[in-house]
Amino acid sequence: MAELDEIIHQPLRLRIMAALNALPASTGLEFARLKKLTGATDGNLGAHIETLARAGYVAVDKAFVGKKPQTTVTATAAGRGAFARHVATLQEIIAGKQP
Amino acid sequence: MIDSQQASAALNDINDVVHRLRQSQIYQIASLIIVMWGALVFVGYLANYTWPPQGYTIWAVVDLIGIAGSIAIAAFSGVGPGAGAYALRLLVAFLLFIAFGIFCSVVLGHFRPRQMLVFWPLFTMLFYALAGLWFGYAFIVIGLGSSALIVTAYFYAGPALLLWMAVVHGGALILGGLWMRRI
Repeated sequence: MAELDEIIHQPLRLRIMAALNALPASTGLEFARLKKLTGATDGNLGAHIETLARAGYVAVDKAFVGKKPQTTVTATAAGRGAFARHVATLQEIIAGKQP
Repeated sequence: MIDSQQASAALNDINDVVHRLRQSQIYQIASLIIVMWGALVFVGYLANYTWPPQGYTIWAVVDLIGIAGSIAIAAFSGVGPGAGAYALRLLVAFLLFIAFGIFCSVVLGHFRPRQMLVFWPLFTMLFYALAGLWFGYAFIVIGLGSSALIVTAYFYAGPALLLWMAVVHGGALILGGLWMRRI
C-alpha cells in the first residue's frame, strides 16, 4: 500500500511541487513567480522551499541579474518521482483502493 | 491517512496551480508578441502617414515581420510539453481569421482607405477579445480597450487618423503587453 508523502502533502508544498512538476525537466521558476502562483507570502514560501530543498525535492539557485538577486527553484528528479507517487496515492484513495 | 474528499481537494489544488502556471506562461509569451506588434504598427502608421502612396507595401512588410516575429517568439519561448501543438493550432486559427478578413475587405467589402485603416485593427482586436475567453481576461481588456480607442479615432481624429492610430493602437498594444507581463 502506497503512503502519502508527508513532506509534499502540506498544502503550500503541494502547490509548489505541482507548479515545478508542470515545467520541463531542469526548468525552474523564479521566486516571485512562484509566490504569485501559490499565493504565499515571502517568508512562508521561503520556509517551505527550504523544507523541500532539505528533502532533496527541489534545487535552489541564487544568482544576480544585474544588481537584483534572483532565486530560481527547480524540481529535482527525486522530487518529480516523489510528486508522481504522491499523486498516484491520492488517485488510489479517490478510487477506493486505499482505506 | 486522508479520506477521498481530502484527496480530491488536493488533486483539485494541483490542477488549479497547473492551470495558473499555463495561463502565466501564455501571458509571458503573448505579452512579448503584443509589445512587438505594438511597436510594429506604431512604426507602420507613422511610415504610412509620411509616405501615403506606399501604404500597401508598408503594411505588407509590417505584417510579414509581425507574423515571422510572432512565430519566432512562440518557437523559442521553451514552454511546457504540448505547448507547441497548442501554439500551432492558435496560429492556424489566426491565419484563418486573417484569410476571412482579406475576403471581407477585398472581395465582399468596398472600403474606403479610412475604413480600411480601422477595419484591420478592429478585426484583429476582435481576435484578441475572443482569445481572451479561453486564455484569460487580459486579452479581453486589451482587445476591447484598443477597439474603443480605434472607434473613437475613426470618428473624431479627422485628417490626423494615422497619427492617432499610431498612438492609440500602437500605444495601447505596447502598454497592454507590458501590463500583461505584470499580472
